[in-house]
Amino acid sequence: MHSTLVRIQNVFGFFTTVAFSVAAVIALSTFIHPQTPQASVALRNVQVVRGRPHYYSYKKEEYAHIKFDLDTDLSTLFNWNTKQVFLYLKAVYPSTKPFEPASEAIIWDAILPGAAAPWHQNHYIHPTPKGTKKPKNSKTNQAKSHMPAGIIKLDSQRPKYQITDISGKLQNRTNVHLELGWNVQPWVGALLWENWKDYGMWKGLKGGKSEVFTFPAIGAKAPKKEKLDVEKGKEGHRLMAGQEQPRKNN
Amino acid sequence: MADQLLEQVRDAVEGQIDFEGQRLAELSTNVLLGAAGIFAFFIGFMAQDIKLTLYIGLAGAAVTFLAVVPPWPFYNKKPEPWLPPHVATSGIQSIDVDGQKVG
Repeated sequence: MHSTLVRIQNVFGFFTTVAFSVAAVIALSTFIHPQTPQASVALRNVQVVRGRPHYYSYKKEEYAHIKFDLDTDLSTLFNWNTKQVFLYLKAVYPSTKPFEPASEAIIWDAILPGAAAPWHQNHYIHPTPKGTKKPKNSKTNQAKSHMPAGIIKLDSQRPKYQITDISGKLQNRTNVHLELGWNVQPWVGALLWENWKDYGMWKGLKGGKSEVFTFPAIGAKAPKKEKLDVEKGKEGHRLMAGQEQPRKNN
Repeated sequence: MADQLLEQVRDAVEGQIDFEGQRLAELSTNVLLGAAGIFAFFIGFMAQDIKLTLYIGLAGAAVTFLAVVPPWPFYNKKPEPWLPPHVATSGIQSIDVDGQKVG
């Protein structure tokens, strides 16, 4: 410590040690923050259509268009070390060969920001439920989700992605279910996935899986007898068998 | 003149402190940075605000740099005095280099 340069090196060296230790303690401190995630996922409507992967493709594939209801309470995932939660809903169906693992395809996802995360255009903004009034012309309200972090209530939500299989064939596939998953991205520490088991104060996800259903044949009416009506004004988004390519998502 | 100026600049840049000062500097580095880290964590944890932790930690580091790096006068309170110069008269009268008497 006899000269300036040596003192700079010493102070900086010990600073990195302290910074690493504090970061490690922060990462560990999230374990005493209880987590009780809950979710209910339900199928609303499923259709299979034939389409092309892109406009100039000669190949025709079958695409599943899955509408769903989602009701989650993931607010306990948001602690002081949560940067964002990447939430996704995937369709899981067994593969055609028995020895291969089940196929999983994401049909919808959302980036849920933590409290300290700065604004970003890709952050999920929860749609306003019907009947609630939206304050007009206020820019602060438009940029932010008005629901508390991790609370999502979606009714008859259209999928973000229409899925196909590697074989290109999806109709009449059985044993399909929808499953919720997520990544918790912390400010410091390890990336975490959804878990179904209890670890100390962290409870496993309750619910989060839909009932088993079947991809219908192309052009078939959806098997459920419940509400099958399409949202008014959205009829044009339906894909008809043998026509057009699937609608591109923005 | 230029040599003197250079000497002063070098002293200022090197910023040497005495032995007692070095001990003190080391101690204050550890205490200040350690305390800043502990404070940063607990205050951030109480407020549930990780940015607070970050800023307190950085501020603590800045304060430590400011306190330790420059050769403040209190690091130079006990300078070790040089030994008094010897009069080199003992034994050797002159040095023989290649047959010539030097010195």
